[in-house]
Amino acid sequence: MNVAIVGCSGMGRLHAEMIARCGLNIVVCADANAEAAEALAATCGAEVSTQGKRALARKDVDIVLIATPTPFHLEYILAAAKAKKDIFCEKPFCRTVDECKKAIAAAKAAKVKLFVGHVVRYFQEFETLRAQIAEGKIGEPGFAKIYRGGIFPGGGKSWFANYKMSGGVTLDCMIHDLDWIRYVFGEPKRIFGQALMRGGDDPMDYAQVTMRMKNGLIATVIGTWAHPSGFRVKAEVCGSGGMVHFDSADAPLRAQKRDSASGPNMIVPGSPVAESPYELEWREFIAWLEGGPAPRVNAHDGLKAVQMAEAALTSIQTGHPVRL
Amino acid sequence: MVKIGIMSFAHMHAYSYAACLKQLPNTTLGAVWGENPRRAKAAAKQFDTQYIRDINDFLEADIDGVIICSENVKHRAMVDVAASAGKWVLCEKPLAPKPAEARRMIRICNRAKVGLGTAFPCRYSPALIEARKQIQGGEFGDILAASCTNHGQFPGGWFADESLAGGGATMDHTVHVVDLLRWMLGREFTSVYCELGNQLHPEEISTDDLGSLHLEMEGGIQVSHLASWSRPKSFPTWGDVTIEFIGTQGVLNVDAFNQKVDVYSDAAMKTEWAYWGSNIDLGLVADFAKSIEEEREPSITGEDGLRAVEVTAAAYKSARTGKRVEI
Ligand SMILES: NC(=O)c1ccc[n+]([C@@H]2O[C@H](COP(=O)([O-])OP(=O)(O)OC[C@H]3O[C@@H](n4cnc5c(N)ncnc54)[C@H](O)[C@@H]3O)[C@@H](O)[C@H]2O)c1
Repeated sequence: MNVAIVGCSGMGRLHAEMIARCGLNIVVCADANAEAAEALAATCGAEVSTQGKRALARKDVDIVLIATPTPFHLEYILAAAKAKKDIFCEKPFCRTVDECKKAIAAAKAAKVKLFVGHVVRYFQEFETLRAQIAEGKIGEPGFAKIYRGGIFPGGGKSWFANYKMSGGVTLDCMIHDLDWIRYVFGEPKRIFGQALMRGGDDPMDYAQVTMRMKNGLIATVIGTWAHPSGFRVKAEVCGSGGMVHFDSADAPLRAQKRDSASGPNMIVPGSPVAESPYELEWREFIAWLEGGPAPRVNAHDGLKAVQMAEAALTSIQTGHPVRL
Repeated sequence: MVKIGIMSFAHMHAYSYAACLKQLPNTTLGAVWGENPRRAKAAAKQFDTQYIRDINDFLEADIDGVIICSENVKHRAMVDVAASAGKWVLCEKPLAPKPAEARRMIRICNRAKVGLGTAFPCRYSPALIEARKQIQGGEFGDILAASCTNHGQFPGGWFADESLAGGGATMDHTVHVVDLLRWMLGREFTSVYCELGNQLHPEEISTDDLGSLHLEMEGGIQVSHLASWSRPKSFPTWGDVTIEFIGTQGVLNVDAFNQKVDVYSDAAMKTEWAYWGSNIDLGLVADFAKSIEEEREPSITGEDGLRAVEVTAAAYKSARTGKRVEI
């Protein structure tokens, strides 16, 4: 199967590696920025395009990977559906729930498969938390807390700092955890949030959100793009008979280089796994295209995640809880 | 020599305060009284002091101040009689479940011209003192947000009896952090939203065992706080007090009691943390004794206790109404 990549920087590059590992062929790398497209194309012997919609419609393309900034997801999904290509779209599915609905309708009408990359569902540590809970190790779960984030991605000039585009840490980053909480504990009932969303040359965002789930569980989620460096994930779930906890700072590798651009004290924990969670999502997606079972996350889940993030952003703006 | 009595051992902190009184120079534990005579008598014996059965006799005894460690709802009545008897008062937190009661306690002590202190020993934690110094020195710029926890194991007994505690985990585990943030940032709280949970001890208790609070302070500082009895019996320690401060110039994390040795003992069959940090109660009790000596208010006042109670009461109101509540 042949893949067209649209959006060739951070996530585009990572996915290119996964796609190659899965034995698929990348035929074209498209990006609004020619340099980004060229750089990635050079690593995989693909053609270069600055016209994403034309590139993805090529006859030899079977799958379109969308890794552009979030507000462009919809237009590429619509173009790919129109060209009858199956679609792997990075999370957040789209910028708004309305856009998600349009995307789902287009994929349905065109009878193409549409996958949304909520990769946290594939992370081994989160799968282990889920399995321990399912085995009853902590009794009935009543409370969850997830913490995720670190340095502001890309600095002040990146599209992430344009909150209209990215939705800040809440829509772009915390959405992973909102999705995982819904995955494990069911539908949310109401949501309350606070966030900094500071702009300027030195942007900072720090979101603190609490969801009440329909089953009564309370989930508090912290997302940070306010740290001077690093990246960290912590998760805990408490129940009537115990508690499970994970912290990414507890890792098998800790490197401390004497000569480092990021400064002498920057400690980068590493947690290598035999199968990257990003590779696992590709394997499930490919199996689905080949007639296998549907992946553990579908487009409706992607929409629901955007809905939770949107509700959180509404609460952040109004100062009031939002009922879902 | 400052002579201090203890009224009630319902709250386990009484035992720590008693030990502090024995340890500090120029203070003694003069007498002990309690509504539960057997418990009070045993405590008197343990700390080698006199047990006085009758409350009037106790209040007439040769003591200068009292530390009140009864159930929350009984604080007010005990402060009333102690203040009327001219005793300086240090009251366990929360000062009272309801702000109106806390206000009355302050009034009574003012009128009786005795000092009233609230037991917020965290202000004597060296880690928190250092954090406050760095924040107030401007090392992290302006503080914009904070994410806090005061988790604990379920203490059992009256703590989860609403008629004695006035609430559950949120009543128990909100006031420390509220007081710390007021003290560290020099701002008051302006609003709170709160979700209350009660799914962690479904068989045992009917009160909340978890509160997830979202607060705002003057200047728009955004604060989340988790107050809970969520730590299981198998957890290696009683709980925690943690705060992550987000400033314009950096991030400061405080895990106030994270000074411990991991203990793996086959006899216990669970990991335990042996705490080696400082005894924070010592500073609290020493200040109380000093306030008596100097005939001044204790450093952490009744007003401080009231401010924290106002936030907690607003949190319960928010959970009841489903709305954000202005403080
Ligand atoms: N799953 C994850 O772990 C994860 C992590 C980070 C980002 N993401 C998501 O992946 C997507 C991409 O993020 P990123 O970190 O790779 O961003 P990035 O800024 O590194 O890359 C985006 C690329 O898209 C290109 N681009 C911009 N507008 C375009 C347009 N209209 N058409 C074609 N190309 C365009 C840019 O030139 C750039 O090369 C976002 O939706 C983001 O939320 C997911």
